[in-house]
Amino acid sequence: MFAEAQSIVAEDEKKHGSGPWVGAALPRKEEDRLLRGRGKFADDIKLREMLYLRFVRSPYAHARIVSVDTSAAEALPGVVCAITGKEIVAQTQPFIQIGPDQAQKIRDFPMAVGKVLYQGEPVAAVVAESSSLADDAAELVQVEYEPLEPVVEVEQALTDRSILHEEAGTNRVWNGVWEYGDVERAFKEAAYVVDIDRLHFHRFSSTPLENNVVIAEWNPKDDRIYYWCNNSFPAFAIQFLAAHLGIHIDKIRVQTFDIGGSFGIKITSYPQMAVCALASKKAGGRPIKWVETRSEHMVSSAHGNERTFRNTRVALDKNGVITAIDSRHIDDCGAYPRYEPLGCVIWSQVFCGVYRFKNARIDFWQAVTNKCPVGPNRGYSRMQHLWFLERVVDICAHEIGIAPDTMRLRNYIRPEEFPYTTPNGCVYDSGNYPKMLEVAKYLIGWDDWKKKQAEARKEGRMLGIGIGTTLDSGTNNFGQSQIINPYAPFSGNSQGANCKLDIYGEVVVAVGSCPQGQGHETTAAQVVADVLNIHPDLITVRTGFDTERNVHTGMSGTYASQFAVSGLSAVHGAAQKLKTEMKRLAAFILGTKEDDLEFGVGQQGPEIKAKSSGKSINYWGLANIVNVNSAVLPPELYDVTLNCRYVWRAPFKVPDTKTKYGSLTLTYASQLHIAIVEVDRETFVPKILDYVAVDDCGTVINPPIVEGQVYGATAHGIGAALMETCVYDAVGNMLTSTFSDYTPITSMNIPKIKYGHTTTPSPHSYSGAKGMGEGGAAPVHTISAALQDALFSQGIFIDDSFNNADSIFRSLKHREGGQLAQLVKLEKRS
Amino acid sequence: MYPRSFHYHRAGSLEEAVSMLGQLGEGAKFLAGGQSLIPLLKLRFANPEHLVDLNFIPGTSFIKEDSGALHFGAMTRHAEIEHSALARKIPVLHDCAAGIADVQVRNRGTIGGSLAEADPSGDWTNALITLDTIVHCLGPSGARTIQLRDFIKDAYTTALAHDELVTEVEVKIPPQGSGGAYLAFKRSAPVYPSASAAVQLTLAGDVCQDAAIALGCVGLTAIRATEAETALRGNSLSDKTIATAAEAARAAADPQTDMRGSAEYKRQLVVALVKRAIQIAVRRARGEQVEGAHLYA
Repeated sequence: MFAEAQSIVAEDEKKHGSGPWVGAALPRKEEDRLLRGRGKFADDIKLREMLYLRFVRSPYAHARIVSVDTSAAEALPGVVCAITGKEIVAQTQPFIQIGPDQAQKIRDFPMAVGKVLYQGEPVAAVVAESSSLADDAAELVQVEYEPLEPVVEVEQALTDRSILHEEAGTNRVWNGVWEYGDVERAFKEAAYVVDIDRLHFHRFSSTPLENNVVIAEWNPKDDRIYYWCNNSFPAFAIQFLAAHLGIHIDKIRVQTFDIGGSFGIKITSYPQMAVCALASKKAGGRPIKWVETRSEHMVSSAHGNERTFRNTRVALDKNGVITAIDSRHIDDCGAYPRYEPLGCVIWSQVFCGVYRFKNARIDFWQAVTNKCPVGPNRGYSRMQHLWFLERVVDICAHEIGIAPDTMRLRNYIRPEEFPYTTPNGCVYDSGNYPKMLEVAKYLIGWDDWKKKQAEARKEGRMLGIGIGTTLDSGTNNFGQSQIINPYAPFSGNSQGANCKLDIYGEVVVAVGSCPQGQGHETTAAQVVADVLNIHPDLITVRTGFDTERNVHTGMSGTYASQFAVSGLSAVHGAAQKLKTEMKRLAAFILGTKEDDLEFGVGQQGPEIKAKSSGKSINYWGLANIVNVNSAVLPPELYDVTLNCRYVWRAPFKVPDTKTKYGSLTLTYASQLHIAIVEVDRETFVPKILDYVAVDDCGTVINPPIVEGQVYGATAHGIGAALMETCVYDAVGNMLTSTFSDYTPITSMNIPKIKYGHTTTPSPHSYSGAKGMGEGGAAPVHTISAALQDALFSQGIFIDDSFNNADSIFRSLKHREGGQLAQLVKLEKRS
Repeated sequence: MYPRSFHYHRAGSLEEAVSMLGQLGEGAKFLAGGQSLIPLLKLRFANPEHLVDLNFIPGTSFIKEDSGALHFGAMTRHAEIEHSALARKIPVLHDCAAGIADVQVRNRGTIGGSLAEADPSGDWTNALITLDTIVHCLGPSGARTIQLRDFIKDAYTTALAHDELVTEVEVKIPPQGSGGAYLAFKRSAPVYPSASAAVQLTLAGDVCQDAAIALGCVGLTAIRATEAETALRGNSLSDKTIATAAEAARAAADPQTDMRGSAEYKRQLVVALVKRAIQIAVRRARGEQVEGAHLYA
């Protein structure tokens, strides 16, 4: 048993990928700088005449602003100015709304206007000569509020009893139905029907080491806005900012540097970027720095989407094969949609998860509530749906009495079915889920654990084994936004890169991404090294975003598990373009044919050699001719610049917005995790006894980087499953606004993670690689599954994605209450 | 810097610190390890006008044994106690010191500061209240000693006058045949426990001669579970006796529901922690070496 898995794991240890550098376990080029504390982060930047901004934030979740008095703050020596929502409305347009119809009418400004809609929303800002003075001044701003009825629960929000955005007239942001196949017939013919009343995916966030930072200067001399910041999707931010501030987009320059983590959360920092620019204008063009505190980050940066799944019905055949799912999903996007309602379609990239069912109806809703606005958070919108599907699979398996691994094997899309078209037209590029399960079982010692579990159960111990199978869909088709709003002017996906020989012949690569620990400097160098046949250390990669490099496209940034595909395809394209030019030039200079040329490194550094004559020219020589010695060039080579920009485009079409059908993502990395969890019978602490994470992201560019991403995503997911939750009380006070209350996972809480991977190269990318890094929040599903397995015999269904000792204790204690038994109903038909 | 501005004073001796605070008045506070005060300053929940720093006073950090007791200088860091072989003479002290928050907090936080802060969730008070502990204090009118049980008055309230400080903590070494344990449950390393239990038992053969049981984080101060102690005293420590004591402890706890746990769960935790602490205490009383460790989520 497990012979194949054993050989996969053994083979894996020596594998080095497709080229000499792509696939090599090269240490990260950025490691030395970052580990020695020599990284350059936005807060490291200090500018002459710089001022500091501090926000005044609402203590209420929902209230009318009666008055804002900044006079005492402005009278404090060292305070330069204050700025309020009223002033901002007078100077700007509301932010672009992505949603259709009523949602278009939502007026979103970077500061509260008239009303506050969540605790922590900015109502004013003060600008002072030092950050301490700004803090002092913020305390002097007097705001009078008149509390309104807060709406904390999303189902309560949908009743529209208390409306957040009066101009929209409803709290509903979006609603749409996805229906495929013949759902009614499937239910008619089902051998089993399982009803699940309510499942809930909790609100949690990411806690990057570095909070949001913005420095803005609205320079009166050239009327341009300069940003030094850590926004992780600047090409998106400038589109919002230009329209909001009424300024030509080319007048906005954004630079990012090293970024201490984003996980998607830093995509939506554009409102704070707007305030800083406006404050700079008011302060006569002096640069303004805003460094978010941790407390601010917790209450008002962005949280992940919370989702409730109601009235789920599942049809299954006699073997436990799911034939149809019918369900209503309600997403809670917090006070302002911002990046939403894109999450209302993004989940459908993984519509059927890793499963084969063809018939389904999902009625999807989204509403605003008086909570912090959501933003894309690692696993964005797909993890909620994947968790739902994994809960469905485990609940049905336990109800019918089929082992969860068998249940999965019967329902998985089969290896021979790839590329697999999902009911909604997505194309899963490649994958082999049964093989991943085999590898995971082998690594965890499945048979041993099954024995131990049987013994434990005899002693009355609550020990569970859980499987989570998830997808990390990468490289979006932005055309899916048209499913949300047919007027959305977005589709496809693109990324730019530039590859050049500089005047002295250095190879310099620039990309439109802004990495936050993903190692782009290294992987981009690996790709170019293979193209030019030189060592990656001979290649300089400019990371960190800069509009002035003219490399980016409107979709540039680092988000949504795509760099290995979009970013590296762009780098590869640019390197190929450069190589072609170098060849033409070298053939002319060396007096030979292009196919006689050989790329390599000679005594004078990187060079091109004529195989026939042995003559060569190094990179300095080539760059010299093009840049400073061009009289040597014949006119037919005047188009050679050795400075090559390439824009890679994903081969997408606009999806059919009526049937909601089309390819929404290019690659589908998969994860299969197994957790062994025991719930202590006295403390009810769920302890992870063993954990394995198997990843398949196609061809691996750099194994240690991939492995690191898997560990990071796994830790984040374990934290989310057992420790991290954003809790609001009934009136919208956030109860987890400090690390003492939110308890982000630490190394003390992370078990030893066994790591393995399988490789099914993607036919959709040039290298066979798939985007990865988000990891599908696999541990959330896996730990829910393990707890379900541990507690099912005690009459407990896991109906929430967040579980801790306290909640498990209370579920067990109150299980006789009758409510829990009502959660799931099984109907057997003969 | 996040706090409101304040004047910083560095005291050269304990006497000077006391007189500085007297002169500076109500708006002044002592700064010991700062692990409670600095977070409060950062959030502007505490806004003192003056801070009198005790960290540079020589001779305030020590661990020594003298006439049947261990003596700790008030500025002795948790980490120093954690790593002290001498402190292991009373295993409860090692249990406690080694589990307080995280390494950074243990490297700065002090035993004297912790007692003077009297946070209902602080570890030291709960561990020390099961032992014969005397707090040495110094004020403008001179030195005095106070039994720990009289020192702690209420949540965040001690017997110290405004310009009085802790100089030393004296803990009597329990007799032969006595064993103790301190256990706390924390949701993650750096945070305050959800509940904690301290137990000190003296055995004669299988019979419990004396017992002290205290519960932390489940009331305004550490709670002595006297009925649980009574359940053990004079009895041999069977599983049933231990279970009875643990149930009595559940009744003695008076927790609040908060982000660290619901009140009913904290009571359940008290049962589990008391039971386990008794089991470890019994083994230690019999001379076994048992490594105690805090429990994590």
